[in-house]
Amino acid sequence: MQASGTKLALGIYTALFLVFLYGPMVVLAILSFQTGPEGGPQFPIIEWSIYWYKHLFGMTPPTRIAPLPIEEALVRSLVLAVMTMIVSTVLGVTSAQAFRKKFTGSGFAFYLIVLGMMVPGVLVGLGMALIANALGIDRHWWGTTFVLHVVYTYPFAFLVMLAILNRFDQSVEEASWSLGVSPVKTFRKVTFPLIFPGVLSAMLFAFTLSYDEFSRTLFASGRDLTLPLAIYGTFSVEVHPNVFAFGVLTTLFSFALLGTYAVLMMLSIRRARRVAIQEEA
Amino acid sequence: MAAVLQLSQVTKAYGALRALDGIDISLPDNAYISLLGPSGSGKTILLRVIAGFEAPDSGSILFKGERVEAVPPHRRNIGFVFQNFALFPHLSVARNIAFGLENRELNPITDSAVVRAKVKDIVALVGLTGLEDRGVAQISGGQRQRVALARTLITEPSLVLLDEPLGALDANLRTRMRAELRAIRERCGVTFLHVTGSETEALAMGDTVLVLDRGRIAQADDADTVYNRPRSAAVARFLNCYNLFEGQLSKDDFVSPVGKFPLQGQQADARGQPAYAIRYDRISIRPLVASVTAEEVRIEGTFIADEYSGAAINSFFSLDDGRVIEVESHLSQAAPQACVPHGRYALVWKRQNALVYA
Repeated sequence: MQASGTKLALGIYTALFLVFLYGPMVVLAILSFQTGPEGGPQFPIIEWSIYWYKHLFGMTPPTRIAPLPIEEALVRSLVLAVMTMIVSTVLGVTSAQAFRKKFTGSGFAFYLIVLGMMVPGVLVGLGMALIANALGIDRHWWGTTFVLHVVYTYPFAFLVMLAILNRFDQSVEEASWSLGVSPVKTFRKVTFPLIFPGVLSAMLFAFTLSYDEFSRTLFASGRDLTLPLAIYGTFSVEVHPNVFAFGVLTTLFSFALLGTYAVLMMLSIRRARRVAIQEEA
Repeated sequence: MAAVLQLSQVTKAYGALRALDGIDISLPDNAYISLLGPSGSGKTILLRVIAGFEAPDSGSILFKGERVEAVPPHRRNIGFVFQNFALFPHLSVARNIAFGLENRELNPITDSAVVRAKVKDIVALVGLTGLEDRGVAQISGGQRQRVALARTLITEPSLVLLDEPLGALDANLRTRMRAELRAIRERCGVTFLHVTGSETEALAMGDTVLVLDRGRIAQADDADTVYNRPRSAAVARFLNCYNLFEGQLSKDDFVSPVGKFPLQGQQADARGQPAYAIRYDRISIRPLVASVTAEEVRIEGTFIADEYSGAAINSFFSLDDGRVIEVESHLSQAAPQACVPHGRYALVWKRQNALVYA
């Protein structure tokens, strides 16, 4: 009796947790189907429509509500996220590889790297803006912002790779060397294929963190806005459901990204699992 | 016979621990060498130093007449078979075996027809035919062992280091693989250096048996000599078939805590701790009242338990100072004395059968 009571309480707690977690997203999704252009971002739904989706793509007759200024911002954010992902992952993989051997100052270097994800974004963003001003460097999303995004996402990629390499059995590399294969080729042919699932995770982290980064970007980006800044800019005037429609679309895009990641992971895990099953048999 | 590998005064320390403490070895060409050492004796470190995974602190390593201390592992052409096999999990059996040939720095083979032919030969040699396309996780432990061996042998090294290669296999398979390893080695004509913690394995496999004790080579002899005449008390202890007594040599006796053992012309080997060693199967169990001859040594002990192993019975007796003595009675020779628990018995051996170290 006691046990089932606890179970019920925990069940309700979990359910509430899930409601609070996903509630905002669901509300946003529902409101994006509000009718337009007269319907606002609040209940009740006057009439279900996909007006705001059409509005996003400029397929509605012009009204006083300006289309979201996101086209260029979206491209910028995607390009920035891809650039950040590539650089952070390469840095993360190579530096985690370096940390497999203890070297002088490795402890200090570790904290120095990890600091990038610890310090408050607003401070770093502001600091970057001040330095750029002092040195007479123009602030751009592809310059100052890009550097900050790498500083921010690189520790995540680094930590993911560190965890992966920690569990990595070094004897397969030694086996390869003893067969006459050079360390560089060994890394390419043995180590990298084996740590690839970890590399995928590091890439995903770097991409998503950069894609919706706000606080660092706010001060460091200069004139051309990235997507989160552009959306925030529209809020400050008036909120229309077109923002919600856009939110739904980006969420779907993220899901697609996660789906790709899941498929790639599944492919590499399935191979490992086939291995594990045979191991038990 | 030419020496393929020569180590002289090789040392390697980890902090205060001298893992290798002046190793001198000379390995002949085309031979099976086993290296016996208890855990912690530095045997794996020795192999890793020879392979080049670790650098020695001092000393020289000559491989085929050339110094290799500073040569990285992939330029040494010394094969290494790992205890856990360390197969490449993302490659099939055939790809694992072909890996070294195709990817090595020196003289890689790019013609896939040549690679295929070589893989086919070596697969037949180690008995893996039909399994080429399997994943390395889809085969049994013994088969994995063969893949590890084939992968190494195909690159034609002059020396193959095997780090407890049978340790991961079950007992049945281990015995079978012993014979197989020897046969494969003979067909290839290379030198195998086989490291093991099992004295039976070391004695069974090696043309020469090296015994490693606390970072030093304690003995290097053929199996028969190592078994019958271990050069130190430490070697006798690793062999797991000697009862050892510590004590002092005084004229014609060896004075141990359980009494004086009269000697008979033994040459005391002057190395390590003084000790008196008598092999398990040299001791006979007699009733207390039975008489002993002049050339026999007799002590008394209380029977604790015995262990039946088919061809022999191992009986355990505790002496008055609490130490336990093991006696091995071969059942093919005579029906052994049936012992009563907690009964007192005389344990008797011939003076000349004992080994003395001083």
